[in-house]
Amino acid sequence: MSSETEQDVPAKPASPRKGRLVKSLIFAGGGTLIIAALGALLYESGLIPGLQRGDQTVASGYFQPPSNDEMPDGAFGDSVRRGQAIFMNTATNASQHVGNGLSCANCHLGEGRQPYSAPMWAAWGRYPQYRAKNDQINTMEDRVMGCFTFSMNAQHSVSGEPPPHGDDIYRDLQSYFYWLASGAPNNTQMEGGGFGTVPKTELGYSPERGQEVFAANCAVCHAGDGQGQKDINGRYVFPPLWGPGSYNWGAGMARINTAAAFIQNNMPLSRPGTLTDQEAWDVAAYINSFERPKDARQGDMTVEETRRLFHDGDDIYYGQEVNGVLLGVGTPDPVRPVGAPE
Amino acid sequence: MTADRRPEQDPRHPDEHFEPYELDASIPWPLLGISIALGVWGAATLFDTRRHEERAQVERVEDTQLATGQAVEPGHALFEASCATCHQPDGLGIRGAVPPLAGSPFVRNGPELVANIMLRGIDGPIRVNDSLYDGHMPSFASVFTDVEVAELASYVTSRWGESNRALEAAEVAELRGRVADLGSFRGGAGVAEDTGFALDEQPTFASGTSQPVSPEISALIFEGRGGQWSCASCHGDLGQGRENTPRLAGLPTDYIVKQLGDFAAGRRINESMAVVVAELSNEEKRALGVYYAGLRVPSNARPDLGGDLERGEQLAREGDWSLTVPSCFSCHGPSGFGVATEFPPLAAQHAPYTASQLAAWAGGQRTNSSLDLMEHISSALSAADRRAVADYLASLPPVPAGSGDMLAEQGEGQ
Repeated sequence: MSSETEQDVPAKPASPRKGRLVKSLIFAGGGTLIIAALGALLYESGLIPGLQRGDQTVASGYFQPPSNDEMPDGAFGDSVRRGQAIFMNTATNASQHVGNGLSCANCHLGEGRQPYSAPMWAAWGRYPQYRAKNDQINTMEDRVMGCFTFSMNAQHSVSGEPPPHGDDIYRDLQSYFYWLASGAPNNTQMEGGGFGTVPKTELGYSPERGQEVFAANCAVCHAGDGQGQKDINGRYVFPPLWGPGSYNWGAGMARINTAAAFIQNNMPLSRPGTLTDQEAWDVAAYINSFERPKDARQGDMTVEETRRLFHDGDDIYYGQEVNGVLLGVGTPDPVRPVGAPE
Repeated sequence: MTADRRPEQDPRHPDEHFEPYELDASIPWPLLGISIALGVWGAATLFDTRRHEERAQVERVEDTQLATGQAVEPGHALFEASCATCHQPDGLGIRGAVPPLAGSPFVRNGPELVANIMLRGIDGPIRVNDSLYDGHMPSFASVFTDVEVAELASYVTSRWGESNRALEAAEVAELRGRVADLGSFRGGAGVAEDTGFALDEQPTFASGTSQPVSPEISALIFEGRGGQWSCASCHGDLGQGRENTPRLAGLPTDYIVKQLGDFAAGRRINESMAVVVAELSNEEKRALGVYYAGLRVPSNARPDLGGDLERGEQLAREGDWSLTVPSCFSCHGPSGFGVATEFPPLAAQHAPYTASQLAAWAGGQRTNSSLDLMEHISSALSAADRRAVADYLASLPPVPAGSGDMLAEQGEGQ
């Protein structure tokens, strides 16, 4: 537009208007370049959320524990690796103390990383903690001892009890948890910790309704009889949910509210959140309405005494009659300890 | 910006007393900004590249060590990748399912026996120390080269068998030729019998009775019926499959029967299969399933889609929780050998077939997965991920088919 005017006054010193235009062009170009350069820098260093490169996990709202290839070397790294091996394959690596067919990883999914699957990064900073369950301050070691006692059913293992205090099993597991919690806050309830909760429903829970939910959503993996499935070598791929191979009556998962939360937030595997609140309560009730190994704390007490002492007021069928059968008596003791040589 | 200090003058008469002068011109701020930004960018890029170079350097050193046999522990990486899924990184196995290597009399007998077992696989009960195991170990003959077998066998025996003998690749080659046609060891007793090593007391191998394939079924498989294709014309004489045609050898009977039914019902869409299954009775479907379930054939699948094997291994073994994709092995079994009817073996399946099925689930042409599990998982995976995982699964050894009583059927189709 201004080319003609410019030609009209060739001898004049540069028109101030022309200079301004060129200048603004340079400024605009320079500004764009700066923005592009800084933007590229931010992108490269992954500082822009949601715009990360394909090989990185999509940022979620939860704490991000380290991945396996970030495991440290040296003595501590070795302990972390041993801890992870125990966590994933408990019956082999804590062989003397596991009296059923489960591993830690069966309920703590994603190698103990998955939010609302009681991830270890959230649990680590919560201990020592007072627990009404045993009316004392629990260290992480005490807590894991509880897992062996109830969830791993140590009473039917070769040693008949959880690993003694100070055992290397606790050392290695705690190394693993500590490493998973790298950078996590201490003594804080973290988003995604525990199993979450499912709101109570008007209908309450019913094993009869749960049976249908189970058949439609769970049986494909855990089998119609809830006993899980093994591969050709007899290795559990899907864990047993009740019966002698599962957690005993003292485990947290035997409570219907705990199981409902775990189920709704994690099951069916790869499709969490597809069950309604009602379905989650009902199927949890169904799973926990079968007999399983007796409560490890029962000792010489009757079921009713044990119920009053340990289960009063809980959402649990322990000590109650379901379909005319008293639950809590326990599955028969195994002929020889689970995992003992033949 | 810059003030013009020149005095007013008539442009027609140039100033005779012109003196050179300097404009009071500071460097424009955008220019400064550009230089600083480019400087920072350059420095950051240099730093970033240096890290890449350091990593590349480490990898080069490792490669050289491997190539020249100077690696600290040759075989270690292979063990982690291929053996540890069952025998575990610490060699302790799985209680009640996978025998330990640590303390095992089989490992104590030196690298040649270990190499032999790797090449042949085991199919039958085995005792290791005080414990009995079902004993289904695949043959790794199709998976490892002679050098790799030699390295692994030497690694395993030096770590857990207190032997320092390094097996040579030439010895493996000779062994491979010798055992090529022998099939899997028939349990621990078979190992002891065939090799003459002292291996404690091994459980006896009960050779099951099996019914030979009827002439009618045999004709279906190898000749076809009424102008229809035979099974073997696409899936191969031994059910080994190729490219987009799946390997059938070792798939469970119930799985095959279900798939044939799904083709008929349109839950799987494949024009050739739709034609073939239309004429099959339920009895024939089952007989075909029984036949293929009992076949054991070396794998001819190869990772040939150019997928990222590392990513494939990650998806198969760990999954990608950020995509809500659990590991393949968490349902299909720890080595991809399959679990019952719903979760077929994936190991040694042809990569183009696996990738095409994942695409079919994602695209809605295959709708026969319980709870729509595979539909959702496939949709969550990118095309590159599907290729990656299909390639990785193709690189695995085939499932040691069925139980002992299937073994006798092996000869029927050959």
